[in-house]
Amino acid sequence: MIPAAAGIGLRFPHHRAVLEERPAVAWLEVHAENYMGGGKPLMVLDAIRRDYPVALHGVGLSLGSADGLNERHLARLRNLAQRVDPGLVSEHLSWSATGGAHFADLLPLPFTEEALSIVCRNVEAAQESLGRRILVENASSYLRYRHSPIPEWEFVAALAERTGCGILCDVNNVFVSACNHGFDPRRYLHALLAERVSEIHLAGHQVRKFEDGRSIRIDDHGSRVSHEVWALYAEALALFGRVPTLIEWDTDVPPLAVLLDEAAQAQCLMSEERKHARLA
Amino acid sequence: MPALLELQRAFAASMLHEEDDAVCGAVVDDGFAAAERLRIYRNTCRSTLIEALCMTYPAVERLVGRDFFDMAASRYAGAHPPQSGYLNEYGGEFPEFLAAFEPASELTYLADVARFEWALGVAANAADAPVLDPLTLAAVDPQDHAALRFEPHPSVSFLSLAYPADQIADAVLAGDEAAIAQVDLSSGPVRLVVHRGPDGIAAERLEPGAYEFVSRLCAGEVLGRLLESAPADAPLLLAAQLRKGRLTACRS
Repeated sequence: MIPAAAGIGLRFPHHRAVLEERPAVAWLEVHAENYMGGGKPLMVLDAIRRDYPVALHGVGLSLGSADGLNERHLARLRNLAQRVDPGLVSEHLSWSATGGAHFADLLPLPFTEEALSIVCRNVEAAQESLGRRILVENASSYLRYRHSPIPEWEFVAALAERTGCGILCDVNNVFVSACNHGFDPRRYLHALLAERVSEIHLAGHQVRKFEDGRSIRIDDHGSRVSHEVWALYAEALALFGRVPTLIEWDTDVPPLAVLLDEAAQAQCLMSEERKHARLA
Repeated sequence: MPALLELQRAFAASMLHEEDDAVCGAVVDDGFAAAERLRIYRNTCRSTLIEALCMTYPAVERLVGRDFFDMAASRYAGAHPPQSGYLNEYGGEFPEFLAAFEPASELTYLADVARFEWALGVAANAADAPVLDPLTLAAVDPQDHAALRFEPHPSVSFLSLAYPADQIADAVLAGDEAAIAQVDLSSGPVRLVVHRGPDGIAAERLEPGAYEFVSRLCAGEVLGRLLESAPADAPLLLAAQLRKGRLTACRS
């Protein structure tokens, strides 16, 4: 069971520190793909699992593939989930694989009825194989398709409605995509059914500026959460209530203390939200 | 309006071969051209794969330098994309790619160093398995010994290389100039068994007779036939494989 509190994404550079220092953090999330072999990583995960609630976050299942899911990859995820008994299992609303080739990135989907039925079918297959509900996370994006008639937030809401999956609302991704594509991020949050949102992700992003003055926001998980995203997170808490919230950092990973500090800030906003909720 | 499958195949051509024509028409280009937007994804994907290869092949990277490595790895990634999202298993054809890679043809030993590093990676990522308890073997009736076959630990692999790749990799990763100077490229072939034991990943050099015996043992050949042509120290070799945890089961 993942508590409605702030956790951090555990990456290899912090394995030793977490094992030795056992920091006071409510829960940890790991990338499933980092533990699909044997040996040392799995031993570390077993040890950590004894002391912390752990969530599994997949990055390689490709829920948006028109070809369907990679059965071998799904079996690996199932084996890992059986071993770890995670509080939550999540994946992304994106695609990575086609025609047997995998692209190691979260690629954008067109938001069409056809894509919705394909993603629904894949999510149902994953949930059936894993024997549990999964959460699906909104990805950040740098392009839109000409034919994409359904607003992303309606697509996410419909996916949850049709498959029973939960929503992992990445507030940073909502913000990054909103900036890149010119929509109101609050409108996105308001469109999601609060009881479907089972987890929130927060991370830093960068503004990539070009010499001609144009800029685009890149979701690189390489810095502290931006002020705008903290503000949007406070709004998300007001809408969704206290939800397990994760700090992610994947590029230029800083000392563990920096992640714990970010988690403490999220925890602080959660406590504020509870006070507001009581007063209301 | 392309169907999703068609769109994903067109996107793939952009990711792998920088052929944007088929997908550009499907992408909105406001502020940034479709090709610029696609390039963001292609670059992220390419750098993730180069990084994955660099983690698996650090000695190759040291030998050729980062720029050359990135160029070779990028070329490889375009021709050999991963087949799944489990990137630990990515890069198995990189040694053969390097062997045929014209710009690196002067470094005749490079592919062997890559083969060695791939074996280390396979050993690191292999599934866990319980090792065969010598007592299990002691309980087998001696007259049944000839019919026994053994199963290797999933991390075990064998390498027969023309160059001393293990020595080269160790020396360059340690940055040990004296050790690098000592490498004799004409010292003849090396035969290695690589596996992950309780103490970590290890590569051991074997003499030709021992290599033949241990590799056939681990290939599951029946013990009776194996002993017909085995070296004199075969019982000691078998005991060593058990002690090092390279065997997981025996059956008759």
